[in-house]
Amino acid sequence: MRGADYVIKRTVFALMTVFVAVTLNFIIFRAAPGDATTALRCRNCPIEFKEALRKELGLDKTKVQQYGIYLKELAHGDLGRSFASRQPVTDELAAPIKNTIPMVLLGEVIAVFLGILTGVVAAWRRGTLLDSGSLGVALVFYSLPTQWLGLMLVILFAGTLPISGIGDPFIAFTDPTWWETLKDRLTHMILPSATLGIVLYGSYALIVRSAMLETLGEDYILTARAKGLRNWTIVWRHAFRNALLPVTTLMAISLGYVVAGAILVEAVFSYPGIGLETYDAVFAKDYPIVQGSFLLLTLSVVLANYIADLLYFKLDPRITT
Amino acid sequence: MTTTAPQLAGEPAELRDSRRRPLGVIWSVIRSQPQAAVGTAILVLVVLVAFLAPVIAPYGEREVVGQPFQSPSGSHWLGLDDGGVDMVTLLIWGARVSLIVGFAAALVAMLIGGAFGILAGYFGGKLDILLMRLTDYFLVIPDIALMIAIGAIWGRSLRNIILIIGIVYWPTTARLLRAQVKSVRERVYVKRARSLGASNSRIIFRHVLPQVAPLLVANTVLTVAIAIFAETALAFLGLGDPSLISWGKLIENAFEGNAISVDAWWAIVPPGVAVAVVILGCTMLGQALENTLNPRLRVGHLSVRRFRLRSLPDTIDPRAAQAAPTARSGR
Amino acid sequence: MSQPLLRVENLHVWFDLKRGAELHAVKGISFDLERGEKFGLVGESGCGKTTSILALMGLLPSNASVAGSVLLDGEDILFKGEESVSPHRWKDVAMIFQGAMNAFNPVKTVGDQIVEPMKLHGVAEGKQARDRAGELLETVGIAAARADRYPHEFSGGMRQRAAIAMALACNPKVLLADEPTTALDVMVQAQILELLTGLANDFGLALVLVTHDLPVVAQVCGRAAVMYAGELMESGPTDALYHDPHHPYTRLLFAATPDLLGEGEVVSIPGAPPRLDHEIPGCPFAPRCDRTFSPCPTVKPRLLKVGDGQEAACHLNDPALVQAS
Repeated sequence: MRGADYVIKRTVFALMTVFVAVTLNFIIFRAAPGDATTALRCRNCPIEFKEALRKELGLDKTKVQQYGIYLKELAHGDLGRSFASRQPVTDELAAPIKNTIPMVLLGEVIAVFLGILTGVVAAWRRGTLLDSGSLGVALVFYSLPTQWLGLMLVILFAGTLPISGIGDPFIAFTDPTWWETLKDRLTHMILPSATLGIVLYGSYALIVRSAMLETLGEDYILTARAKGLRNWTIVWRHAFRNALLPVTTLMAISLGYVVAGAILVEAVFSYPGIGLETYDAVFAKDYPIVQGSFLLLTLSVVLANYIADLLYFKLDPRITT
Repeated sequence: MTTTAPQLAGEPAELRDSRRRPLGVIWSVIRSQPQAAVGTAILVLVVLVAFLAPVIAPYGEREVVGQPFQSPSGSHWLGLDDGGVDMVTLLIWGARVSLIVGFAAALVAMLIGGAFGILAGYFGGKLDILLMRLTDYFLVIPDIALMIAIGAIWGRSLRNIILIIGIVYWPTTARLLRAQVKSVRERVYVKRARSLGASNSRIIFRHVLPQVAPLLVANTVLTVAIAIFAETALAFLGLGDPSLISWGKLIENAFEGNAISVDAWWAIVPPGVAVAVVILGCTMLGQALENTLNPRLRVGHLSVRRFRLRSLPDTIDPRAAQAAPTARSGR
Repeated sequence: MSQPLLRVENLHVWFDLKRGAELHAVKGISFDLERGEKFGLVGESGCGKTTSILALMGLLPSNASVAGSVLLDGEDILFKGEESVSPHRWKDVAMIFQGAMNAFNPVKTVGDQIVEPMKLHGVAEGKQARDRAGELLETVGIAAARADRYPHEFSGGMRQRAAIAMALACNPKVLLADEPTTALDVMVQAQILELLTGLANDFGLALVLVTHDLPVVAQVCGRAAVMYAGELMESGPTDALYHDPHHPYTRLLFAATPDLLGEGEVVSIPGAPPRLDHEIPGCPFAPRCDRTFSPCPTVKPRLLKVGDGQEAACHLNDPALVQAS
């Protein structure tokens, strides 16, 4: 099979990254000055309670021992319990993640669509006002703080589109069809996704443009022109197809931002996803949730990165190792 | 020694003189590209405002002068925030913290990333592989999420925020620099210095560093942009220093204070615009620098415009061949 | 009398430079090409030979301007610029580029790229096209099954041959070959030349071979033209150019090629070609010429007939001027 070693290498890399993230997670939360119990808002807690809690959290053992227990628990999918609700973290985060994923995907779709359109047109009309103009606009959007843009969209669309929540809380009473529920969900998703997409598309446009320019200077483009192909055909069938390669890489690189964006956007729009959970948990100092959320988010990013690697591999026949 | 360094094959013209004056390169880019000039102008202006804050701020930054979210008026051009403090004042003072965090964090990232990159690029071998592996893992881990995780435990002081942001952003700088250093290392004058027995540190500081300095600066400017964005994100999550005002904090205050429900746009819009302007300025400058120092321009084979036709020039048609009477050949 | 297949008359090409200047890259060259003829275009790097043949297909960039006429079977294809030349691309005139390594798009199979122009020009479609692509590959000595492979899986020589197959996709009348054998090793070079010669002979394909490699021209081409600094110095039967040159540049050029058997001296031409961003009043070769005399630097030499089918642009062929000096 072509590139079996490539796949293996990337798999190992993904696993190693997860390991580093897991260890980092441990270091951050257990190596902190003081420990989880000191931050607990528990003014009148007797010493015995705190001691019992420490025992429960395993804080009375050595760091190394704690690390071992931590890894073992992780392997069982145990991320601890929320301080606030006393429920397992995994339960607390399972539902919200399901809400976040479609919203983020929609945002990516918007960003990719706008980015490719802008980038191709800018490269195509290189040096003209359309080029510098569309890039300028993209750059401006790229410079906006995500949460601020979200707030702007709230101000602008407060009357016309839903600005909070994931769906109409009363919709169940109207016995909606599948389509109506979908529409409801989508209208609640559109603003947060759009915010994400708009801030994201700028960097995509830039990369697409420079990838296209690079490609358009290649000899096979001259050959295509010599064959009598129309310019437009050459742009899409030859140049763009090659320019897709760096775009895939860029999408993988920007995943870190997407995570940040998701948190900020869900906070602004009160969208009940893992971002909002994290936001609330940080304010409430509910560390197990914050920790669990960081881990889950990192895992998602590693996974997405891995998929992007495999996708790149599929797109570029030159890669064999 | 000649005053201008001889040009090496394949070296962009701008880099030629940087062996003598790294700053000169940056200045020449600023002079020649309008984008860079505008970016620099914006940054200089904002830095000036921040510097002159005590002098130009109309009111005190904690001075309550009216009702919360009072609308803009003649004496308060941007109204008041959720605590009744003048927005213009807050904006000016906020510049200080935002810029300090941005520049300081970028500096930290530059120092760590630069060190890693230079070491990995210069020494190569096992050190290179180890450092780059480490860098790769960190590149995948989502930056802001990591900052939130660290900030939740350790955050809430200015120094910590700067350190957190700087620590999370070193990988990109490291990668970029490593690639640069690797190519510089192979240049003729470096090899010459090594064969003359110069020590590694001398070579790094006297030859490698000046060459990679412009690109390092370009990358740092771009990092400032990201750092300022990170500060606003952290502030929004309540992880900023609670005793200090930054633009990010202003946005957070407005949000927490429900500025939207009272239509107090003046509390929300200005800090966001300020952040956007600075990030835009940094991006414009940083990108102009990067594009010049890492040129990847090529002739495009496609264009909307076509080649043009014109009429024949007024020279005699060389095709007016005549027979030479005697075969006197032009050997 | 039948007209030549291709007639290039007084072709000029300029490139715009910064600050309103321009580069006069090709300065009024003319030549004829008959059906099935193998014609060589030779000269040093930068003399304008590649630009000339790119101009024939209208493949110049947007900062170029063109004058003169290119008659294909009597029809001026450059008459309306891009509009009039593009229908003839690949169908009548095809090209293989310098360094065919990069003529192929790396993410598409070779077969796909050979088939591509067939559909466009209505030559063949679908299965018929794919079969034809396979046949073309066989013609150039590559197994038809390799059509489904990607360009990076081919060696340099094979890629060059595949490029030739691709060029033949629409049965062109003229094949322009720009340095087809540079960057290939000697054995492969010979194969490619043999292939090109065979194609010309068997299929009546007219060939324009652009190269700075004189032995190649001597081996393959019946007639050739010598260019220097964008101008035509001499043209005629290759044998005549070799044994009876009427231009100092031609003579020195052929003498500069080392004889494989080691006989004769290697003569190099000192100096460098002139810059083309300003007009040169006299003969462009005058500064480096060993037979230069009084009119050379100031009077532009005209193309004079110096033999059967041979023309040269040199004042030494004009007895009136020679006597006067």
